[in-house]
Amino acid sequence: MPLNQKLPSPEEAWLPFEPTAAQPFGRREAAHLFRRAGFAANSRELDEAVKLGPQMAAKKLVAAEEGEFAGKMHSFAQTVLATNNSQTLAAWWLHRMLHTPAPLLEKTTLFWHSHFASSSAKVTDTRLMFNQNELLRRYALGKFEPLVMGIARDPAMLIYLDSATNRKTRPNENFAREVMELFVLGIGNYTEKDIQELARCFTGWEIQYGAFKFNRYQHDYGSKTVLGKSGNFDGGDSVKVLLEQPATARFLCGKLARYFITDESDLSPETIEPLAQKLRASDYTFAPVLETLLTSRLFYSQASLGKKVRSPVELGIGLLRSLEATAGLPQITDQIRELGQMPLFPPNVKGWPGGMAWINSSTLLGRANFVRQLVQDNDTLFGGISLEAYIDKLGWKTADQVVDSLSEILLAVPLPKDVRSQLVAQIEGGRDSRLTKLKKTVHTLGSLPEFQMA
Amino acid sequence: MTTSRRRFLSTVSAVTAGGLAALSSRAPRFLLESAAYGAETKGEKILVVVQLSGGNDGLNTVIPFGEEKYKKSRPSLAIDGAGGVVKIENGYGLHPSLRACEKLLENRQLSILQGIGYPNPNRSHFESMDIWHTAHTKPSRESGWLGRCFDAHKDTLAKAIDPPGMHLGEEVQPLALAARDLPAPSIRSLEQFRLETGGDDQQRSVITSATAAPRAAGNDLLKFVQTRATSALDLSRRMQASGTGYKTTVSYPETPLSQKLKNIAHLIDAGLTTRVYYVSIDGFDTHSDQAGAHASLLDQIGGALAAFAEDLAGHGQLDRVMTLVFSEFGRRLQENASRGTDHGAAAPVFLVGSKVKPGLVGKHPSLDDLDDGDVKFHTDFRSIYAALLEKWLGWPAGPILGDMWKPMECLA
Repeated sequence: MPLNQKLPSPEEAWLPFEPTAAQPFGRREAAHLFRRAGFAANSRELDEAVKLGPQMAAKKLVAAEEGEFAGKMHSFAQTVLATNNSQTLAAWWLHRMLHTPAPLLEKTTLFWHSHFASSSAKVTDTRLMFNQNELLRRYALGKFEPLVMGIARDPAMLIYLDSATNRKTRPNENFAREVMELFVLGIGNYTEKDIQELARCFTGWEIQYGAFKFNRYQHDYGSKTVLGKSGNFDGGDSVKVLLEQPATARFLCGKLARYFITDESDLSPETIEPLAQKLRASDYTFAPVLETLLTSRLFYSQASLGKKVRSPVELGIGLLRSLEATAGLPQITDQIRELGQMPLFPPNVKGWPGGMAWINSSTLLGRANFVRQLVQDNDTLFGGISLEAYIDKLGWKTADQVVDSLSEILLAVPLPKDVRSQLVAQIEGGRDSRLTKLKKTVHTLGSLPEFQMA
Repeated sequence: MTTSRRRFLSTVSAVTAGGLAALSSRAPRFLLESAAYGAETKGEKILVVVQLSGGNDGLNTVIPFGEEKYKKSRPSLAIDGAGGVVKIENGYGLHPSLRACEKLLENRQLSILQGIGYPNPNRSHFESMDIWHTAHTKPSRESGWLGRCFDAHKDTLAKAIDPPGMHLGEEVQPLALAARDLPAPSIRSLEQFRLETGGDDQQRSVITSATAAPRAAGNDLLKFVQTRATSALDLSRRMQASGTGYKTTVSYPETPLSQKLKNIAHLIDAGLTTRVYYVSIDGFDTHSDQAGAHASLLDQIGGALAAFAEDLAGHGQLDRVMTLVFSEFGRRLQENASRGTDHGAAAPVFLVGSKVKPGLVGKHPSLDDLDDGDVKFHTDFRSIYAALLEKWLGWPAGPILGDMWKPMECLA
């Protein structure tokens, strides 16, 4: 890929990426799409995507349906909920990410989980966390307004924010503050007075016995002024006022761009603006916006390729999905937690900070050890067979083929030449069995800085 | 520490082929800054927090054995002067199970801050612990006092290689560390600082050299990860170099608390840039048959603190490590009908280090002036926090705690 390739201007950024001889849509680019829009892809999926081309491949991800899988997961969840064990529910979610036929839906649900963060550490009724998770999934690619309204009535969220009661004589500002700061508008786009007025709109919105209830005796029916608009607003009206603010679409698109395009916050407001306009024009519907994003020139530019740090979930589930590996779920869940991202347990209402914050000494070593443990465990199967048989089946015979194909699948950034030769030499030389050598190659690749990038 | 930093710097230079000077024009900013950070530091001050969960009985920790009222109030639990109390000064001494602290007192390494608490004491474990964790008497669960420091200094702290705070243990992470921008990891075992290769040294060296090999320009984020990965592998090597374990001549007791403090000593010695470590020990909610249980807990604390201080001193680290020991509240003066004690209010706080004001600090709370049967506080815990922030960690206390807390005179 040419270095110093010019980044697309704000006008060009969101135009569809059209492959050229100089910048083709090959397996590496397809792998980029799947790493961002899902949890990485295996060799067969990459071949299919390359045939479809970038536009169709992204459309397919946006349109993917869960089908029977949804029902299966639902009944699986009921068994888990009977035990009220939040750790097991987290494992259930990871299982879902691992096997879903609609990875973008799941990836976006995870985005909303960090955006509308609530934690099982405080919400001890696991069923409430499950219901919230279903809510996030229902609207993940759909409309924002019903999503926000759902969150405003969501027992898990209101319990998490100490907002299960909100009386007219003493409005609870906690939820209103997070709506302004973290959920809808973003910091700097409102005043303290707006928060107080918004809190009044939500008075009487209560949680009783784990369910939402509107208590009309506690609702303040007086006139409120939120962001310059006045009226006898209730919660729903006030959300409409917030969605009219241009800052809302900018804030959400900025966050989507950080999640799907790059951790580095140097995307200019001018670059974000066209996407924000698209979000407003679609009445805040996410599917078309994500399709634009995932097919854009910006998405396939140097501003995006290899410019994200893999989260622990992306790393763990991605490794398993890209090699079709199956391993013990409780163990995987445990390891992903140790790497710093336990689903259903975000660190606070701001969600996981992501990016460079994933990386420290213990998590980097933990990531390498995770890969080793997975490949060294004799119970781990790859496509139902051993790693050696799996690689043979894919037709990767020579050491060069093995290193190049594995790199293509596992790494977001190509290996430096001499590292590549070192790995090839490791397979060609030595007295280890081929299986041992292949395991070591995956372990080494999975320990390198390139593997930490998404 | 400085040696390893130099090694780290030389790695960075090697990686960027041409040294730091050559980097200057187009180098990623964070690389230069983290290098500068490494160059000037000789080891920043470190705070270790030991939390005693459940409400430690302060009156049987620092014992007013000279007072009649104490003996009368505690028919089965009182320990008198002849009962092996570690005498400090006239009429006051430590519980016999804190015998190991005698040496800390002799070495002027233990400060016993008396009568610590806050107004309108809350006797719920959960709520009082939140008050200590947030440093607010009306706590919101949003951030802890230490987490707020991390956020306030995130620009500097995020450049350091390791996270600013670290919790060691399997329990839920303490609220004290909760930050909005710089979360602290919870570490369950030191294995998390070792690259596992199943004893295959060749594999280790392949990974190490492949990680350090030069990368093409153009991806600052990759460079950042590479720098941290190189430093993590170096840390792993140092952790591993000591063979099966950390080299110390100090024999730590075989208790979970001791082993956690030993792990912290190991991490400090390995050169982590982490400023705050947090551990806790549970079991202090001694409502019935307190005597044996409490003695055993104090024995664990005394043994752990003494071994930790001796070990740190042996490694030349004691001068930069301060340990704070606190509980969410003390216990009632009058023992209950089950030979235990119920939730109380004020209690002593311990500081261990070479720069503490040694011995008893402040008056033992009066047994004749009680609030609902509990001894009263005379010093707010936030003035201890203020001292630790301003005079130890070097972080202004005002933005973290509010401006009303003057640092307590508890450091030397």
